[in-house]
Amino acid sequence: MANHSQFGFQDASSPIMEELVEFHDHALMTALAICSLVLYLLTLMLTEKLSSSTVDAQEIELVWTILPAIVLIMLALPSLQILYMMDEINEPDLTLKAIGHQWYWTYEYTDFKDLTFDSYMTPTADLPLGHFRLLEVDHRVVVPMESPVRVIVTADDVLHSWAVPSLGVKTDAIPGRLNQTSFIASRPGVFYGQCSEICGANHSFMPIVVESAPLANFESWSSLLSS
Amino acid sequence: MRRLLARRMKFHLLGAFVVSVGCATLYKFIVAEPRKRAYAEYYKSYDPMKDFEAMKAAGVLECAPPK
Repeated sequence: MANHSQFGFQDASSPIMEELVEFHDHALMTALAICSLVLYLLTLMLTEKLSSSTVDAQEIELVWTILPAIVLIMLALPSLQILYMMDEINEPDLTLKAIGHQWYWTYEYTDFKDLTFDSYMTPTADLPLGHFRLLEVDHRVVVPMESPVRVIVTADDVLHSWAVPSLGVKTDAIPGRLNQTSFIASRPGVFYGQCSEICGANHSFMPIVVESAPLANFESWSSLLSS
Repeated sequence: MRRLLARRMKFHLLGAFVVSVGCATLYKFIVAEPRKRAYAEYYKSYDPMKDFEAMKAAGVLECAPPK
């Protein structure tokens, strides 16, 4: 989860999120270069005393056409690379359905028999010591670690969005539509997210908690819940 | 004064370019590269089972309560 006053991304817990963090550094570096250039020139213009009666400047026109085109290509290439990487067919080991309601999530593990549960936010009054306010749920989504997981996201009533920043996942939940996303949890742990599409009064109070564990523990958890 | 504006403009345009590339390079070597190295170092000697056992002992996992 994010710390208070955190500025940057949460630590990446999936390979795609690691790529996204790296791309963000690249894009921010480019933005910093452009902003510092503009700031320098702006300061110069504001302190400049000479006036100009230039009517024609072919060379600089060429430079400030070609250079931005190069910058845009430098941004587009890694961006498209990651976009296509996200859509690779990765033979998921598990398929999970996340259904958004007002104001909770339902998870269906249809690979197993009768493994469906609702996930409501734990009210603050009922929070055990050390747990996170507005982030904890009564039933967490458990997935096996280091395994590709496919999540099919939909909604029952209004628009919602299933987002877990640490895993690099955010997918809109649209009534009547199935959206697919996938992730690999690189390590065991607990990853928090929140509904990311305004859906009514309790939009801020329907969090998502994904717990990743070794396959053996996932299997014992799933057989316990199925029975 | 002949070609003064052209000279100043050329000087400052080059200066602006150097400043912007300098800022980008600083960001790359102060933020981006250390972050890449940090991730690589973390996963080089990472033991997921050891991490899992520590989390289990701490009682943070719903699917693996501490005994």
